Amino acid sequence: MGFLNPNNFIYGLSLALLVLIYLRSRSRPTIEVSSLMLFDDAPAPVASVRNVRIDPLFWLEMLTLAALTFAIAGLYIMRPPSPGHGRSHALVFDLGAAMSAREGSGTRIDQARQQAKQIIDQAPIGDEFSVIGYALEAQVRHPQTANLVDLRKALDELVPMAVPARTTALRAALIRARGASVIDLFADRPPAPAILADAGSTSRVNFHLVGAGDLNLAIVSLDPGIPGSTRGRVVIRNFSARPHPAEFAIDLGDSEQFHQTMMLAPREQVVAFFGPLKTGGLLHARILTPDAIDADNSRYALAPSGRAAQVLVLSPDAAVRDDIARVLLAINANFQIVTADPAKYVAQSDAKPFDLVIMHDCYVPAVKAASTLFIYPPSAAKSPQGISVNGTLASADIRPDATDESPGLESLTLGATRVVAVPEWMDLIATATGPSHSSIPLAAIGRAAGGPVGVIAFDVRDHLLLAPDHLDALVLTVDMIKQLTAPRDILIVSTGADVSVPATATAKVTQPDGSIRTVTPDKWGRVRIRPMQAGRYTLESGGQTTQVLANYYDADESDLGAKPPPEASAPAEKAAAESSAQSARQAQPLVFILIALALLALLIESAMLIGHAGRWRMRHV
Amino acid sequence: MLETRAFEPEFLRKLDRLVLGIKRARTVRTGQRALGRVQGLGIEPENFKEYAPGDDLRFLDWNAFARLDELMLRTYRADRQVEVTALVDASASMGLPQRDDKLGLALAIGASLAYIGMADNDAVRIGAFAMHRGSMKLEATPFHRRRESYLNFKPFVTSVRAGGDTRLGAAVDELLLQRRPAGTIVVISDFLVNEIDIEDALKRLVAARHDVKVIHVMGEQESTAAYPPGLYRIRDAETGEVRETMLGPTTVAALRRKVEKMATRVREICTAHAIAYAQAFGAGNLETFMERELPLLGIVR
Repeated sequence: MGFLNPNNFIYGLSLALLVLIYLRSRSRPTIEVSSLMLFDDAPAPVASVRNVRIDPLFWLEMLTLAALTFAIAGLYIMRPPSPGHGRSHALVFDLGAAMSAREGSGTRIDQARQQAKQIIDQAPIGDEFSVIGYALEAQVRHPQTANLVDLRKALDELVPMAVPARTTALRAALIRARGASVIDLFADRPPAPAILADAGSTSRVNFHLVGAGDLNLAIVSLDPGIPGSTRGRVVIRNFSARPHPAEFAIDLGDSEQFHQTMMLAPREQVVAFFGPLKTGGLLHARILTPDAIDADNSRYALAPSGRAAQVLVLSPDAAVRDDIARVLLAINANFQIVTADPAKYVAQSDAKPFDLVIMHDCYVPAVKAASTLFIYPPSAAKSPQGISVNGTLASADIRPDATDESPGLESLTLGATRVVAVPEWMDLIATATGPSHSSIPLAAIGRAAGGPVGVIAFDVRDHLLLAPDHLDALVLTVDMIKQLTAPRDILIVSTGADVSVPATATAKVTQPDGSIRTVTPDKWGRVRIRPMQAGRYTLESGGQTTQVLANYYDADESDLGAKPPPEASAPAEKAAAESSAQSARQAQPLVFILIALALLALLIESAMLIGHAGRWRMRHV
Repeated sequence: MLETRAFEPEFLRKLDRLVLGIKRARTVRTGQRALGRVQGLGIEPENFKEYAPGDDLRFLDWNAFARLDELMLRTYRADRQVEVTALVDASASMGLPQRDDKLGLALAIGASLAYIGMADNDAVRIGAFAMHRGSMKLEATPFHRRRESYLNFKPFVTSVRAGGDTRLGAAVDELLLQRRPAGTIVVISDFLVNEIDIEDALKRLVAARHDVKVIHVMGEQESTAAYPPGLYRIRDAETGEVRETMLGPTTVAALRRKVEKMATRVREICTAHAIAYAQAFGAGNLETFMERELPLLGIVR
């Protein structure tokens, strides 16, 4: 029972008004007398005098007004749905990395799949089901259908991804399932009660919690160090509430560089040092101890090559040249750096091309380099590499990525920034908010004919890169330099990230699980893939092979034992239960019954008044 | 608005033939002596007495000494008049029931007595008393002697409003504190107070050698309990106390008995202290009361 328009209870004031009128008419008159001494000998009033006399007309009017008030407020009752109609079900699955956790003979997604199949089996004939999965985004895996064979096939095809399950994706999945009368949500951790409450307003939501174990080890990070110079380190974390041995190995190319077994305390995170490596190359860290999630047991890193790369830094500001040189040496101590004032720099035509040229507030087209980074590109009429400058801002803020739930870039005020228009072949790395809250490209990277090109729109004078309050600007610059100096045939990315790989023809992509698919390059000669599995992706196109190595780690997702406390999970289950209880039946408004009741009461009152009139010998009521 | 009646010429003409019945036999000395027999005041010769050492030589009758060779003193009747005070109860109880206009009746009687008192050129004033917020408020007009100044009472009489508590004892205290010579005091009230308070107040007035007269006023509705029958919540005008009662024949009878009992008790108190007592129950009886009742009771002649 409930009310569709509870605000209309304001009309209930008419009841209070009626009671006031009644009490007023029944109230005892108060008379003021000269002295109560005169009434000393008067007998006391009868104690059983009623304050409210039973007046049928009054109660009939009360009944009429109450019925009308309840009708206006939209009183309804819940009743079971009428038989003969097939209900629609939405099966919503968490496809985050934690659902791939092994428990017993299967994984969590297997448990969820099994429960879903039971629901399907127990459903009456005629019920329809849809399958929706979510991790980074929500996706309808199978539209609503009553074909149970197709449905089971869609369930069997559900595969967890090596990405965290985001709350926004869950919301999106529930929104997509909103048309269904019953939503069955399968996840390994209870969602926020508010999310279930929102979904439960239109549909009945059944939450199915899967998974119970917490044994998981993960490689948090892998730093190769600098070959021949500094030691590398690997961070390993035990998410279990029990101590657990961790055997792990680190390979450089095909040779094992490091192998160790250590006992990790409950929920301990240890840092293991290795090296320094003798040479650069692809570094692969592996946890050999079996645990629940495989995706976070492997991590790739690229050890910088020991080759002395040539880097040219051009800037009209000597302090900037010095700052950038420091940053370059911090990235790779093997860099051989040449700094110069662009006004005085004379490019030699027969000189060996630089591996990287960084141009700050200048553009010298004559410089030959394998990759180029423009910082604070000049607003000259001739734009560098198709990058045009439309204006200048006194300052700009790095805009945090609204879709990224992890604490990443914070809003950070930078110095002078140039509004650049990046060509379509470049990918935006970061954006800024402009004066009119519009999105302004702040950093972008792409691959032109001459090699990788990057652009950073903000100025780095006044030691912006080295200021401790502007670490985001430094991180952005370091990442850009690392990408520009990375090997062309190896890309190391995070799972879920968009990867752009140059390709001259249709690319054959071999995924970590061995499956192969083909991808057609776009008009700029790029192939875009989005690795959702951790491991090695191989792209073959036009005789060239590119390795894309996807790393996965998410502290929340990998923490299998991180269930919300009982007091937090209880509301979720309660919300689901309430939603379930409410949506199991259909709302039946009682407007017509209440209006009929009011009319009946009025008719009875009229009849009584006519009777009174007859007794009082009155012609009119 | 009955008090304005006391200033209507037609009504005053009916009072012209009346005289205030004042005992002029009270003196400050022991025994019955006429008021005003004080040596040396006045111009009307009264008697002779033999000279005694210490007598005022100004009053020696030198002609008698010449004729009789004896020192004789001539005595005179003093010019001193009686002070008449009409003391009206102006408490809240006098304002209820409104249709009875008890206060108007009391003020009209007080003003009428003042008018009558002026017939002998007696000094007359009208006072009203009530207890307001714990302090006695006794207001009175100045003394007036001649009837030409009778209209000077009108502003005061018409300005008195009912309010406050009846505290007869406190009013008497306030009056005695003025230390006026003994005179005539006419107390006009509904006497809806404790009979001990009534008796105490009247006793102290008598003890101060005042000639006290009591006029007991009650409203017609009040004294006959002429309320419509039914269940009522009644509130005391002075104390604010509320009581519920069912007004019916039984209650009305009890109410009337109570009024009669209280009037009888006041009369008994007055009789016990040789105080003239008159009842003025009902505002419609003003003229009858003034012309017939008061002469019968000796308050006027």
